[in-house]
Amino acid sequence: MQRRPGWFIAGFLAPALLLYVGLVLFPLQQAVQISFFQWRGTSSVVKPAGTANYQQVVRDPVFYEALGNNAWMAVVVGLVVFAVAMLAAHALKKRDRPAKILDALVLVPMAVSSVVAALLWQFMFHPQMGPVPELQKMLGLGEFQSGWLATPATALPAVGVALAWLSIGFYVVLFGAGMQQIPGEVMESADMDGIPGWAKFWRITWPLLWTVRRTAVIYWFISVMNTFAIVYLMTKGGPDHRTEVMLTYLYITAVENSQYGYGSALAVVNLVLVLAISGLLMWLMRRDPAEARA
Amino acid sequence: MKVLRGLFLWACVLAVVLPLLWVVLGSFKPSLQVIADPWGLPSPFKPQNYREAWTEAAIGTGFLNSLIVTLTTLLILLPIGAMASYVLARFKFWGRTFIANTFLAGMMFPVFLVMIPLFLLMRTLGLTNSLGGLIIVYVAYSLSFTIFVLQGFFQAIPVELEEASLLDGCSESALFWRVMLPIAKPGLIVVGIFNAIGLWNEYGLALVLMTEKSQRTLPLAIADLSQTQQYQADYGALFAALVIVMVPLLILYWFIKDRLKESMLAGSLKG
Repeated sequence: MQRRPGWFIAGFLAPALLLYVGLVLFPLQQAVQISFFQWRGTSSVVKPAGTANYQQVVRDPVFYEALGNNAWMAVVVGLVVFAVAMLAAHALKKRDRPAKILDALVLVPMAVSSVVAALLWQFMFHPQMGPVPELQKMLGLGEFQSGWLATPATALPAVGVALAWLSIGFYVVLFGAGMQQIPGEVMESADMDGIPGWAKFWRITWPLLWTVRRTAVIYWFISVMNTFAIVYLMTKGGPDHRTEVMLTYLYITAVENSQYGYGSALAVVNLVLVLAISGLLMWLMRRDPAEARA
Repeated sequence: MKVLRGLFLWACVLAVVLPLLWVVLGSFKPSLQVIADPWGLPSPFKPQNYREAWTEAAIGTGFLNSLIVTLTTLLILLPIGAMASYVLARFKFWGRTFIANTFLAGMMFPVFLVMIPLFLLMRTLGLTNSLGGLIIVYVAYSLSFTIFVLQGFFQAIPVELEEASLLDGCSESALFWRVMLPIAKPGLIVVGIFNAIGLWNEYGLALVLMTEKSQRTLPLAIADLSQTQQYQADYGALFAALVIVMVPLLILYWFIKDRLKESMLAGSLKG
């Protein structure tokens, strides 16, 4: 059939493309440009700065601290989230009453959002009314004078708890769907051969979850790099940058300190890191290692 | 093993429910009781917390602003997104792959990174502190995900259908609005739900673009409340505000929970 709908294609693409280019891509390009200027938002003086902002990023200890905290969340919180989600998805395979109840509730934290989760867990760890310090006292584990969120050693783990609470549901559903794709006969024949549950998991379930695992790892990495509200509302990155992540540092630099030039350099470095690492992750997991054997 | 499994499942249920239950209980308590008796039933029962949160703490204004912003954004986003996805999914033309990938790239990086230039741009346009301004920003930043999901739905529609309609003398745009769009309705529902939840909860962009109290959305209003000295000790009102934010989402969640799972997987298993 002869269709020459050039005008039609252009007309249908135009609104989306205009908005996307104008409000997403153009600012992105602007960020790169601004990063080569010295620009304090409070004054009208804008001077070319060469690569000075980037040199400052490389020497900035807070930048490394924030990067380290993002990495801690990605790896440590990530391992906890994946382990719990894997166990839960496995336990949910049998549809009895507790399984049905959990299944109905599993995405509730995700639906109520990071703002609610942040405030909720801020109260949970609250030194005067929080159930967590309460429990800690009851168990005779002492207490932290200024509370979990203001104690340098416990602030990041406490934020990690909130992040895990918020995120696990998605991975339970994802792993659950992955497990459903494993043919029932495989499991049945393993049962008949008398293979114990643990071995069944490592030998069959785990390798067959390959695609799902890849999706999960990349999703998790991107969502950790997107973490802002939960940290900003629980601790503002404190005490003394102990919970600072890239986006809270960027926000404080850009909005609270009005350092547009330096903030933009931070943003560009962050962008390059995110793209490079997710590219690397995709490359590392580019194909199914089980395929080679098959 | 069986016992362990049961214990684990119930522990998970409690981990989800207990924090929420604690907040709901606390929202009906006088502030002192929140501290003294965190797990007891409210006595005296104090529903005034809700009135306080709604009016004095401007949660009411935030609720209304969030409702306007979320609904208007969807109303603009869904047709615009569907039109672009349809063209990208069903036509071959020069630059198609490039444009499709450019849209997809928006899902790969934290959008919050552009906050400085975006703020400057919106300030120049006079669109900071304006619900309209926030709405067009939300439309722009929701396009990547929307197009990613809808493209899949449009690709799945059989070719015969459009050939038959065109032979019947249907114009290209009538084909889209009368035939294709109704078929892609499940996809529109999926992206509609997802975007609705995301927009209702969006915090970062709103924080940068909306500084005036009267223009704040619900997440900003409640976050602000928790940082305001006056309310930092009024735990009852704070908890009530938190419940006000959660309830519409929990109600929505209850009706769509199965669809939510399906759609989440539709968006992620392909990747």
